[in-house]
Order: sequence, then structure tokens, then C-alpha cells
Amino acid sequence: MTQPKAQFHPRFLSSRISSSSRSRTQRRACQPPAMELELNFEISQTAEFILSRSFTRVALQFPDDLLKHSTKVVTCLRNKLGSGNKVGLFVMADTTFGSCCVDEVGASHINADCVIHYGHTCLSPTSTIPAFCVFGKASISVSRCVEKLSSYVGTNGKPIVVLYGLEYAHAISQVKGALVEAMSNAKVELIFSDVMCSIINPLEDHRKSDGLGGCLGAATGTRYSLGGLTWDLPEGRGMEDYSLFWIGPENSAFSNVVLTFNGSEIVRYDATEDRLVTDVSQQKRILKRRYYLVERAKDANMVGILVGTLGVAGYLHMIHQMKELIMLAGKKAYTLVMGRPNPAKLANFPECDVFIYVSCAQTALLDSKEFLAPVITPFEAMLAFSSGSQWTGTYVMEFRDLINSSQLEVRKRPEEARFSFLKGGYVEDFEPQENEGEDNDRALALANATEKALQLRDRNPDSLVKGIAKSGADFFVTRSYHGLETHANSSLPEPYLIGRIGKASGYEDERSEPETLNEDIIVLTSKEWQGEANPEVIGSALGALPWSYCNGVWISWLHIKQNVKVLTH
Amino acid sequence: MSVIAHVDHGKSTLTDSLVAAAGIIAQEVAGDVRMTDTRADEAERGITIKSTGISLYYEMTDDSLKSYKGERQGNEYLINLIDSPGHVDFSSEVTAALRITDGALVVVDCIEGVCVQTETVLLQALGERIRPVLTVNKMDRCFLELQVDGEEAYQTFQRVIENANVIMATYEDPLLGDVQVYPEKGTVAFSAGLHGWAFTLTNFAKMYASKFGVDEAKMMERLWGENFFDPATKKWTTKNTGSATCKRGFVQFCYEPIKQIINTCMNDQKDKLWPMLQKLNVTMKSDEKELMGKALMKRVMQTWLPASSALLEMMIFHLPSPSKAQKYRVENLYEGPLDDVYANAIRNCDPEGPLMLYVSKMIPASDKGRFFAFGRVFSGKVSTGLKVRIMGPNYVPGEKKDLYVKSVQRTVIWMGKKQETVEDVPCGNTVAMVGLDQFITKNATLTNEKEVDAHPIRAMKFSVSPVVRVAVQCKVASDLPKLVEGLKRLAKSDPMVLCSIEESGEHIVAGAGELHLEICLKDLQEDFMGGAEIIKSDPVVSFRETVLERSCRTVMSKSPNKHNRLYMEARPLEEGLAEAIDEGRIGPRDDPKIRSKILAEEYGWDKDLAKKIWCFGPETTGPNMVVDMCKGVQYLNEIKDSVVAGFQWASKEGALAEENMRGICFEVCDVVLHADAIHRGGGQIIPTARRVFYASQLTAKPRLLEPVYLVEIQAPEQALGGIYSVLNQKRGHVFEEMQRPGTPLYNIKAYLPVIESFGFSSTLRAATSGQAFPQCVFDHWDMMSSDPMEPNSQAAAHVAEIRKRKGLKEQMTPLSEYEDKL
Repeated sequence: MTQPKAQFHPRFLSSRISSSSRSRTQRRACQPPAMELELNFEISQTAEFILSRSFTRVALQFPDDLLKHSTKVVTCLRNKLGSGNKVGLFVMADTTFGSCCVDEVGASHINADCVIHYGHTCLSPTSTIPAFCVFGKASISVSRCVEKLSSYVGTNGKPIVVLYGLEYAHAISQVKGALVEAMSNAKVELIFSDVMCSIINPLEDHRKSDGLGGCLGAATGTRYSLGGLTWDLPEGRGMEDYSLFWIGPENSAFSNVVLTFNGSEIVRYDATEDRLVTDVSQQKRILKRRYYLVERAKDANMVGILVGTLGVAGYLHMIHQMKELIMLAGKKAYTLVMGRPNPAKLANFPECDVFIYVSCAQTALLDSKEFLAPVITPFEAMLAFSSGSQWTGTYVMEFRDLINSSQLEVRKRPEEARFSFLKGGYVEDFEPQENEGEDNDRALALANATEKALQLRDRNPDSLVKGIAKSGADFFVTRSYHGLETHANSSLPEPYLIGRIGKASGYEDERSEPETLNEDIIVLTSKEWQGEANPEVIGSALGALPWSYCNGVWISWLHIKQNVKVLTH
Repeated sequence: MSVIAHVDHGKSTLTDSLVAAAGIIAQEVAGDVRMTDTRADEAERGITIKSTGISLYYEMTDDSLKSYKGERQGNEYLINLIDSPGHVDFSSEVTAALRITDGALVVVDCIEGVCVQTETVLLQALGERIRPVLTVNKMDRCFLELQVDGEEAYQTFQRVIENANVIMATYEDPLLGDVQVYPEKGTVAFSAGLHGWAFTLTNFAKMYASKFGVDEAKMMERLWGENFFDPATKKWTTKNTGSATCKRGFVQFCYEPIKQIINTCMNDQKDKLWPMLQKLNVTMKSDEKELMGKALMKRVMQTWLPASSALLEMMIFHLPSPSKAQKYRVENLYEGPLDDVYANAIRNCDPEGPLMLYVSKMIPASDKGRFFAFGRVFSGKVSTGLKVRIMGPNYVPGEKKDLYVKSVQRTVIWMGKKQETVEDVPCGNTVAMVGLDQFITKNATLTNEKEVDAHPIRAMKFSVSPVVRVAVQCKVASDLPKLVEGLKRLAKSDPMVLCSIEESGEHIVAGAGELHLEICLKDLQEDFMGGAEIIKSDPVVSFRETVLERSCRTVMSKSPNKHNRLYMEARPLEEGLAEAIDEGRIGPRDDPKIRSKILAEEYGWDKDLAKKIWCFGPETTGPNMVVDMCKGVQYLNEIKDSVVAGFQWASKEGALAEENMRGICFEVCDVVLHADAIHRGGGQIIPTARRVFYASQLTAKPRLLEPVYLVEIQAPEQALGGIYSVLNQKRGHVFEEMQRPGTPLYNIKAYLPVIESFGFSSTLRAATSGQAFPQCVFDHWDMMSSDPMEPNSQAAAHVAEIRKRKGLKEQMTPLSEYEDKL
């Protein structure tokens, strides 16, 4: 996903763009004037939200690309709140997981009462702390958009649902008004989706949630919602009967729409480039690829559950449900918490054949080409691990819907063995008869166990070959390296050896380049962003101090991504 | 027994006569019905696609059995016959048929002679230790079409038999004994399947033995080879005396009489015919006497020399009974120790022993979606309701993998188009079982529930491989479950077809050839998916990635944390080594000492180096390897597993187009590791190893390998020009051109890239006005000489196309992404 860079207007970048690509002069030009900043960051609404609910400790969560505005936002907000009250404002930098989610763990470090979330959001419900989301206001030419939309409506006879990125929410009422005017003579049904609410209240019990993202049979029709948008369809109509019109860039929110409503025709209006994109084959390709991953997952013996969120309501329940599912499928589950997964982190667990990433809907799709093992979503895991279920084309992104929809009903195990398309034949899954047998003659259980233990093992195992080991222990047994070997025959102490000195990027006995070393030095000078730093170095320098006081603002360095700009004082 | 031959040599037609003799179809229609071609498209195309089993019961007369020397009980014989397809695309069906039979009737067209497929199936049969008998078929062509005279015909037959014997002689097996065929011993028959008649020399020997007053065996010898008879002098000689009346025994006593009868029939000289027939003790029914011409001839010949009796006699006399055959076949069949109870039961064909049954194919049942498991009982008995242990192809004794216990719902005897349910089936027979299809993909070994120590019966080895692939998808997205179900069934219904899924999520169907695939897809859509529409892509050919020479320099990659470095070089494997790995002569499970001996002696490896092979790949057995060339590197053994994992990954998806690698040897030159174990874990090493493998591949002049067919074409001389021009146009090249002695036909062997082969048959047919018919078998991988790294080269075009299909970035990842600088 590439982002256009040609905008000098203060705005929110809707996806993970690294500001490092822009030159410093550009960055200067980006400085928003105070008024515009106030408007863009919805300072007054925020202040009202804080004051009306009388919060005293407020965490402000910024994504990487907005962190540079944090000090100004704080100053503005402080002014708005008035000097009289004692509201504590804390700035949180990047989160452990996706920046679209509210970082509740980070907020709880400072006992915050609420979180103000800036930038692109998935509007996933929180579990304990209320949050106020500031979407930002991306510029859009209403007239151009309406023009494109109406021309599209003209060519397409189907009724249309209009969806949009949340950063365009501010302009939607204008678009709607203009469009209704322009289309007054055409008899095409148009449905505009609404933003659910920018205030997230924690859900005490996610089960009571009104099924966000799911479809509920309301009296008047069917209510759909996805990624913070909600809309109603008249009774008797499904999403297949509508065309989708998406206003916004090609980001994860859009991918979700394409995957979820893969039966509908979808067009995208790119506001920054002012053009209509009708080709969504790349997204359709993703769907096929996911399908392949499900097939891969079916053959897995060991499954790693990656905890990808600590905030989205119901994540614990989901993890438990996944564990249960995996166990029922006769596979082994390991739960791993590792922040944002990357290939190097996941490759540390080569025993896992597949990973399930439990996270908010918009970070759930990890392109797994670089990963040693595929990473799938809980929905895909349900398809893969509950025997007899088949993919019918529907796709569920938000795991809350999964909890609601399928309460792990005990499915009748089908008579047929499972057919694996990767191996081109039947493969045995967990066999129920195995258990029955052991229950029936417990007297023989011990004998059976010893028999198994005494099985002749292959002397030359193909270590690290996927899909053979049944558990982590099995896997380690087949590895060729089992740890240091003790040489019993030599009792003499080993001779003393002097090793290499220096850093791995260039030891002292090798030619070293001073530039590479300079990268690692943090320049503590201005209020501006300085240089790029190796995350490891920052991690060691600042990781020990999760919160630092800086320019009158608390900043969390808890989690630092690779190549992040470092703000120093 | 199975009936095997080249395509269009008349297997199914001949089988009909045997079926007719067992009373299943009427004699009159034998040869036209083609009982064993059960499918509509088989009848339509006139070729057999699936092998079909048929169990035939005969009662032989005492008289005909009096010269039978082996043991026998009673006169009843049960012959389990399997008719197999001749087209090379379906040769997996032949393999499946051979496995469950003990004898083979090799059918050879007397004019076309021994063809490529005859040779292939014959060698396959011998590999399975199956005793062959030969029949020289389409004799009617000699008499009616070509009207050759006796001596010429004899020479032709002699050559056919000799050619077959040459093939069989190359295969020496002390246990099987002499497998060559001799007309004078009765192991060669002469038949005309279409007209339903056949004879062996025995028939004529019997007839003449009394007349000449000599022993039957002696007479037989005289009827073949260099034995001449001069009716004028009434003397036998071993040389042609040169007198006009002196003729070869075979010509004089076998060929001429038949020719005479046929000619009289065809000319409707009935007045002459009846006395002749009377002489031969042939009595015709009155209504048959009304027949004319060809019909009359057919009827007369059928009555005089019924194909069934000649062939049956040959089979009964010369093909082994199961108990006899299993004595020597057990070694080929059983995977476990040859002295255990199961091996003994198979050896003795013991009906009281433990059940050992091999399912060699699955036959679609009439109720859609279900299958019969068709196989052969090698020992014990299988009965309705019996609980059996199903050991799949991946079963390892002592483990639970690929093992099911299920009960047989019904046992059935296969009778061509219909089936008959029976209570039980004892060893030595073919059987079809109901109720096991949901646990067997293609083949399996069955045994009794409690026989936990039994090893499975060895898996079949196919002579063709699925190289032609298409991606299928359904027209309506919601039909996906139907497609999945259909593919599952398709995979079952054919021993060779492979249904898989690509990284991009496309369903792939792979078959042995274009025709095979066409049939498979038709089955898929019509039978297994209930007519739901599918879209198929153009045929997809899989390539391999290899390297031309050694890496131009040692490449290095750093781990993500920069604390570890791997140095590596790639080089091509020695010629023939990749094939040796394919064949399993060299593999990961070898004893390192033996392996290093082979490598040192045949491929010139350094002996110590050969012991330092870390692994093979992809899938741990593939034709690429990693060799450790480091000296004195600390902790090296610690990262071996990680490097191996990275290698399995990289060798499966090469750097050019994510195709499998082939024939690359990666040498680990040096390794620098962090002193702290936590910084050199799998997470750091596996991705780094993958990158360095790619870097070394890219620096070693990477090349693409394309699959190449061996094409064999038989055509008359005037068609040669057309053949050559089509081959040239398709990048093929002829390496052998031979005239078939005694015929105007030419045999052409050529190599043809698989990617050019689509539509080859039809183009060829068009260019030669239907006179040339090619048979393509995958032969080898051929390196494409053009450099895929060079834009606009042919290889680069292929790479771009593959990448596009797989949904990869159009540009190859540059070397700089994989290689790091110090």
C-alpha cells in the first residue's frame, strides 16, 4: 500500500506511513497553525468529553506519524481545559500492538481514567477504560466525490451502500446532501452508513454487546456494521444485492470491507488522487490466499496463539475459545505474547505449524509470505479446526462476532477422514476411537503407554520438518542439537581463549566504519525529531525508563518500533 | 491376470471374447460390445480410460486339461481379469491392474508390432514379477487388409515375438525364471479379437498329431521355426528345399488353412465351405448358414477357433495360479520382514491366514460420491461386516498415522458393467468393497483388526508422473464446497491425478497428459460436482530452478540483529546426481558411509565432504543439498537445525519464481555467530539462512529447468515431413528415426518441451492428415539456455509469467535484498 505524499495540509495519515521518508523541510511546512490544529484534533470536543465526565487522568494516544504534534495538542488542550482544574494529561507513544486500538495496558500504567485516541482507529470496544476517538479530518473535495459517485450510480443499476474511511466522516453529511440533490431524478436506492460513535464505553460483558459487525434482525430490516460504520438494509435484502462505494484510501479498513462483503461489487473513490478505482482484484486475491492458509492450518499439529491485543473486549475469552477449539481438534496449543509479530520473532518458534493472531479486525491480516509459518485469524482457525466446517464464502473479521455466532457447539464428528489438499490424500486427525479405547480398558492403559514409549525411534530423523512432531517436546527430541555436550574423557580445564572484541556490526579485528557507529548515538538537542536510531539501542537506553518527563509532557517509551523517530529534549 | 498393450492393439475387443465364453455376453456380439469399456466416453472415443475388472468362471473339459502338468483340483477355473487402458496417459491404471494380478496377456498388433507402450507395460509387469503370455492380435488384418502370403506373415509374427522377447530378456529374474515367450511352447497365441477367433499352436498340433501319428509336443515344435514340410515328398526338413511345394510348417498347417477358410467365406463359396468345415469337425447351426460374407466368416472362425478357448487354455496352462505366483511375489509385495506370519501367509496364499489385502484403485459407484475399494486378497479372507485395519500409504508400523479401523459393509465381485455381492472372498482373488471409501484416498493395505504388527504392502511405483496442471475454480463462488468435494472424489477415482492447492489459493489438478487431464476435468464437473460449472485455466507447467555454475563470490547475509553472519556459495550438482536422488539411490536415510562411497566413486566427491551433507530438500528428500564446508566454527551444530529449516523453505520456493529448486548444492563456507545463545536462535538464523540461500543462488547464474516429454510417433513415410515441421515449430528435436522392418511405418522418437505440447496431438494430426499419433511421457528436466536475469529472454518471460500467476511482485527481488555487506 503506497501513500501519496504530496499533501502539506495537517492531516492524519490513515495507515502506517513512516514520516521518515519526508524531508525535514517538508516537516516544517507541516506545522499546523493553532486554529487548524484545534479543529483537526477536535480539541473542544475532547475537552468537553473530559470535563463532562470529570476525568482527572487522561492518556493521549498518538500513532507514530502524529506523535510530532503531541506537544502542541497537549498545550491546546490544556488551554481549553482551563488552568483551574487539575486534569493530568499524558502522552502515549506507539503501542505494543496496532495503533488503531486503544492501548489500555499503557493507559493503566498511569492509572488513566480515559484515553483519547488520535488517528486511524478500528473502533474496537475496550474492556475497562472509556475512550474518545479523534478521527481527524482528511481533506476531500465534496463536489468531485459526488460527481464520481453519481457517474458511477448512472452506469450501475444496483442500489448502493456508501462506506468511507473514518477520517472522511466529517465530510459525509455534505456529500450526502450534495448527492441527494444531484440524484434527485434517478431512482437508485442509496444508503449512507453512519459512524457508530466516537466514544467507546467499556463493555462489562461483551456478550451483551449488540453484535457489532454482525447483522441483527431489527424490526425494520437488517443492521450491518463494520469498522465503526453502521447501516441498515431494508428487510429481505442482503449485501449481495448492493454495490459498495468506498470513500478512502486502500488500507486495512478497506481490505476488511472487501473480504467481508466479497460477494458484492465494490468501487473505491480515492480522495487524495481524485479517482475511481474499480479493480479490487488484489483484494480478491487476498481472499484466495487466506483460503490457502486455512488449508495449511488444517494440516498443522502445533498451533501458536499470538496475543495481538490486550485491549479489545473479549480477547481473553477468544483465546480460551481458541485453546479449546485446538484441543478438541487434537492439536497442541501454545499461547505467545510477543507484541507485534515479525518474521524473526515467529521463527523463534519453529515448532509451531501455524499461528493464530488474536487481535482487532484491522491488524488481523498479516501478510505471511515472509513468515515461516502462516498467521491466520480466529475466524480462519474456526474453519480449519472445527471438523466438517467448510468455507462458504462468508468472512468474519471481528472476533466478537465469532464469539456471538458460534458457541462451540459440539459438532457431530463426520464419518469421513479429512482430505488434505496439501498432501493430496486423507490425513488422520485426532481419532476419537483412540480415546474410547483407552477409556474402555484402563487396565491396559499403562501397558499401552509403555508400549508407545518403547517404540523404536527413527535414528535419522528429519529435524525441523514441519508436521511430524505432535508437541513441543516431540519437536525438540527430533532436533539434531540437544545442547552442549560434556566431554567426560578430558578432565583438564579448557585453555583460556581471548575472544573477539567489539560489536557484531564490525569487530575490532575487522575494518570498522565509523558511520555505522554514529547511527547508534542519540543526539539530545532540540525539541525536534532527530536522526534514526537503532531500536535496540533506544530500547536499552530508554527501555528501563518506561515514562519520561519531557517538555512538560509525559511520554511513554514502553514500546518502540523499528526505525521510529526519537523525540528528545 | 491383466490384459496389457499399446493403445489400439485390441485389448478390450479381445477381452470381450473371453467374457463371452463365460456366458456373460452373447458370442455374436463379442468384439463389438466392449464389455469392459463401461463409461460413456470410453465407448465414444473408442479408447479404454479406466481399467475394469471382471471375474470369469470357466469349466474346462477333462479332455482339454489332460496335458496340463501342474497340480489341479477339479476342472473349474476362476479367472480375475482386468482390462487396462493402452494410452500412455492412463498407464497408472495399468500399474494398478498389474499389482493385483499374477499374469499378463500382452496383446500386440501383428502389423504395428511392439510399440513404446507395449515395452513400458511389459517392463512394468516384469518389475512386479508378473508372468506374461503374448498374443499376436489383429490377424484378420493379415488376411483381409494386407493379404500377405504365408511366409511374409510368418516373418512378421516372428519379428513381433522376437521384439517382445528382446525386452523380456533384459529382465532377468531367477525367481520368475525364463519369461520369454515361444509359440512352440504355447505361450504365444494368434488372435483376431474383432472376429473373436484365436489359436495357439496347440490347437493345430492336436489336430495334426493324430493325422501324422506323432506326439503333440513334437508336432508343436514342427509348427514353428525352421521346419519345412513338402507335401509332395511328405517329409519334414529344417531348410527350405527350394521346391515349390515346400513350405514352412506354420505356413503349411496353420496359416494356409485359415486363409483358405476365410477366403471361401468372404467369397461366399458355401458349397466349398461346408465340406471343409466338416473335415475340421466344425458344425454350424442352420440359421448361421444363412449368413453372408464377413458375418459368415466371423461366425465360422468363431466356431472353429474360438478365441476364448485358445486364450483360456494358454492362460490356464502358462500363467501361474495365485498360490504359485505369490511364492515369488511376496518379496516384491511385502514391506515387513519376510519371515513373519504375514509374509508367510502371502507366500502360501493361505486362506486361513491373516487377511492381507491391497487396494489398488477406487471405482466410482453408481450412487454419486461413493466408491468401491478395488483390490486383491493376498492372504486370508475378506467378508461382509469384517472389521479391517486400513493402513494408508503414509502408515508407519507402530504409529497411529494414516491408520483407521473400519468395517467392510459389503464385498462385491466385479463383473464389468455389473457387480455381484458375495459373502466372502478368499485369497488370490480380486474384490471390491463398500464402506471403506471415506478412509482410502487411492490405495491402502487392509488387514484384520487385531493384526497390529502387520506391515503394509509396498506402494505402487508409477511410470508416469503428473506434470500437466491446470488451476480450476468454480464459476459461482458459493459452489466452492462442491468443488472441494469434487476434487476429493476426483483424487480418489484416479491413481495418478493429483489435487492440490497453490500458495495463491488456487486449486490445481495435475495429470499425466493433456488427454488424462481432459478426462479428469470432465469427470470432475459432470460426475463429482453434479454439473456445477467450473473455470479452468490454461495448462500450467511447473518449472525448476537451478544454477549453471559456482557462485561468482562467497555471499554473506546478516541476521536481523546483525550479530550473526552466514557465508555461502552455490554450485550445480554433478550430472546424474539429481536423478540419483530422485530415484532414492542417494537420500537422507542412507548410511553416511555408503552414501559417501557412492558420491566419491561415481560423482568424484571428496570422501570427507560427502559425510558433511547436512540435508536434502525440499521436503527433506529433494534433489538439492547443503554441505558444511566450514572449518572450526564454534556453535555450528547449534544452528544446523535452523539452517536446515531455512533450506527446506528456500529450496521449495526458489528466488526466481518460487518454483522448486533442483540440482543445487549449497556450501556453507563460513559462519560467524554471536557468543550468546539467545542471539543466535532460530528467529535470527532461519530467515537469514533463507536469504543467503537466495543470494548464493542468484550469484551462481540461475537458470530455469523445464520438463521435457519423450514423444514417440508412428507414421508412414509420407507423414514424416509434417511431423518434422510440427516438431521444429514446437522446439522439439528428433533423436531417433527408424523404419519398422517389414512395414512402411516409421518410428520417431523426439524430445518435446512440455510447455509446447499443448495441442501438439491435434496440430500433428492436422499436419499429417491424421496419420501420426504421438505418445508423450515425461522424460527429464532440461535447462533453458537463456538467462532469466536478462530482460526479454525467453526464460525471463517464463519467470514473469509464473510470478504473475502466483501473484508475486513482477520484478524479482534483487540480490541486494538478500546479500549484506560487511
